[in-house]
Amino acid sequence: MIINEFNGMFFAIVGAAIATAFAGFGSAKGVGGAAQASMGVLSEDSSKFGKMLVLTLLPGTQGLYGFIVGFLILVNCGVLGGDMPTVGQGLAYLGASLAIGIGGMVSGFAQGKASVSGIAMSAKDDRNFSKAMVSVTLVEIYALLAFIVSLLVVISVPALNI
Amino acid sequence: MKTVRIVALREERKRLIEHLQDSALIQINKHDKETEGFSRVDMTSQMQVFERNVTLTEQALKILDDYAREKAGLLSSFKGRREIDPDEIGVIALKSTEVMRLCNTINELNKKINENNAETIRIKTSLEQLETWKKLDIPLNTKDTDSTAVFIGSLPSLYNESELRTLIAGENPKLEFEFEIQYSGDNMTCLVLFAPISQKNMAEDVLRTLGSSRPMSPTHHTPKVKAKKLNKKLEDIRTENEKAVKRIISFADRREEIKVTQDYFRIRADKYNVINELDHTRHVFVISGFIPEEDCDKLVALCDRIATCYIEFGDADEDAPVKLKNNRFSRPAQNILTMYAAPSHADIDPTPLLAFFFYFFFGMMFSDAGYGLLMVIAIGIILKVFKPDERMRDNLKLFQYCGISTFFWGLIFGSIFGDAPASLYNYFTGSSVTMAQLLPWPTIDPQKDALILMIISIAFGLVHILVGMGCKFYICLKQKDYGGAFFDTGLWMMMLIGFAVLALGMAVSQTIMLIGAAMAIACAIGLVLTQGRKKKGFGKVIGGLASLYDITSYISDLLSYSRLLALGLTTGVMAQVFNMLSTMFGKSIVGMIFMIVILLVGHAVNIGLNALGSYVHTMRLQYVEMFSKFYEGGGQEFEPFSLKSKYIKIQEDK
Repeated sequence: MIINEFNGMFFAIVGAAIATAFAGFGSAKGVGGAAQASMGVLSEDSSKFGKMLVLTLLPGTQGLYGFIVGFLILVNCGVLGGDMPTVGQGLAYLGASLAIGIGGMVSGFAQGKASVSGIAMSAKDDRNFSKAMVSVTLVEIYALLAFIVSLLVVISVPALNI
Repeated sequence: MKTVRIVALREERKRLIEHLQDSALIQINKHDKETEGFSRVDMTSQMQVFERNVTLTEQALKILDDYAREKAGLLSSFKGRREIDPDEIGVIALKSTEVMRLCNTINELNKKINENNAETIRIKTSLEQLETWKKLDIPLNTKDTDSTAVFIGSLPSLYNESELRTLIAGENPKLEFEFEIQYSGDNMTCLVLFAPISQKNMAEDVLRTLGSSRPMSPTHHTPKVKAKKLNKKLEDIRTENEKAVKRIISFADRREEIKVTQDYFRIRADKYNVINELDHTRHVFVISGFIPEEDCDKLVALCDRIATCYIEFGDADEDAPVKLKNNRFSRPAQNILTMYAAPSHADIDPTPLLAFFFYFFFGMMFSDAGYGLLMVIAIGIILKVFKPDERMRDNLKLFQYCGISTFFWGLIFGSIFGDAPASLYNYFTGSSVTMAQLLPWPTIDPQKDALILMIISIAFGLVHILVGMGCKFYICLKQKDYGGAFFDTGLWMMMLIGFAVLALGMAVSQTIMLIGAAMAIACAIGLVLTQGRKKKGFGKVIGGLASLYDITSYISDLLSYSRLLALGLTTGVMAQVFNMLSTMFGKSIVGMIFMIVILLVGHAVNIGLNALGSYVHTMRLQYVEMFSKFYEGGGQEFEPFSLKSKYIKIQEDK
């Protein structure tokens, strides 16, 4: 069968790429939008920089989670250490990376939009800042859940006999 | 909190109010309308003067900053207000007139510079227009002579001499004319045209059809002379501006005086603002407000010392403001609490709990001994060197305590700048040890023991939520709402504990599991029976059953604590990534330089990103998961009438 021609490492690396790239895509778009909005605010009042920075960076974590999953896959699968995975293990890595890849991307988009609104809100009144911040973090739980699922799979794959 | 009413003599008003402002003991009530039988004293005009002075000084400082930027270090925002001696106020007051004159001068100079800049632009435009006429040796506004009509103007197209000649002749063959092209280019032709005075109208018509327009700002000088004059003026303006700028810069070393004066006027404006809203009679005036109970004696002593007055204390009602009192450990977290909302009278002050969990969770998320130590030391130095103001100091202290917690969690997770000790050891010796082998104490590795750590995180979450519900339980008991305490809160608490016991039993023994299950089921039955108690008829059953649906919110709350694991892991792995990258360039000198740069930059980035993440997510756990269980908020913070200054603060009497 053709699948035997590939080795597991191929799937593992595709997995690492999906986790890093897709989650990073979500964060990039989220942070980008938020940064545009915050620069609009800063052009009027540059003293708000600290607060704007916080709100801008909030959608940035998805990319980080994706990167960590990608990195752990590379560590486990023989690129940066660990043993060469079997085809089954490689597919498991690939599957695991889908969680944070897709979850991170979509939640990054959503969190970016929430951040933009939060920035508009705290631009009007500084006291709204903590409320805006907490509201924006509400989105993050879904990226976190996806990350934990990916993580639990990735760290247990080397012990799997598949 | 107590209400307070001070009745004092009008002639002692200034002294008394100044002392009240200095001591910051009471919050003064402000009413827009006077009480019946009293009148108001109008201080608006004085207030406006002071406020205008504040604005003037602000503008002057801004102008000074534009021309001579104040040297501000990276860390200067931590710097506290300068302390001054109480006696210095008198000196400031004496100097204030002179300083205000200075501010006026600065503002005038700046205005002059701006006007000159506008003038420069105007002159430059005129010069550009003159440029096209520079060959002309008669003035631009030359009038007709007795026999010849003169037209000076520009046509909106590019022509050469013969083209133009044919064109004009084509328009009106009868016209006798002579012309001279002064300039042609840029879709424009400037010319001087002569015609017999008898044909003036004809010539005018022709030129109009060709779209001729007269030059702007004609003068009786020839263009050359005019340009020279304008250039001279330009030069004058430039030297004048240079002088003005120099003069402004020479005032830069008086910035400190301006700042102090600004504060002086700000404080006075505040004072008059208060006087404006006090009730007066012919001889006495009345201050009413709130005072924290423990400060009552201080107020009495103060008033006895400085004025003849009558003081009356009363019990405050529910609208009274709240003053938070906390010890050194939990005080820094007060800012986190007030960012959410100040406690109302129905609430208990949750700051100590908030503080403990804040430090604890932050440490667990940031979890690196190296970073923790760095935070503690750096903040310690900042506190010593800059002596920041109260609010900033509290914020810094908050992170210092978080740093301590971070340090210990780092030790537990075996993370000191990630795995830097191990990776550096391996780099220099070529061996391959891990942090776990290097450290003499047992550690939990978040990467390997993620599942265990997740269970631990959720267990901490359960404790956190139970503490929150415990507060609700306590508040209900205090308000004698026994149904709310035992049925709405107590049963859920028991049920959550039941589930926890059940989960523990699954791992340990069947008996414990059964006990847990029995607890949970008993509580569930209890909830079904009690939760519909406020509804009527059929609603009782439905309400009871529907309340069980709340279990989903508790589950999602608990799962939310898995972020403790996720963020802890993020810090560790990121640090590890940078450590790994840094050792990739080999053991040469260049490799070493790369290593140091990557380590410095990488760890700085990691600290920035993850400290922010830990802060935000800890806050969220407090606000969303814990506060939602019991905290109402919506109270008013106690804001005493005090010196609200920006640059100086007055030393307290020792």
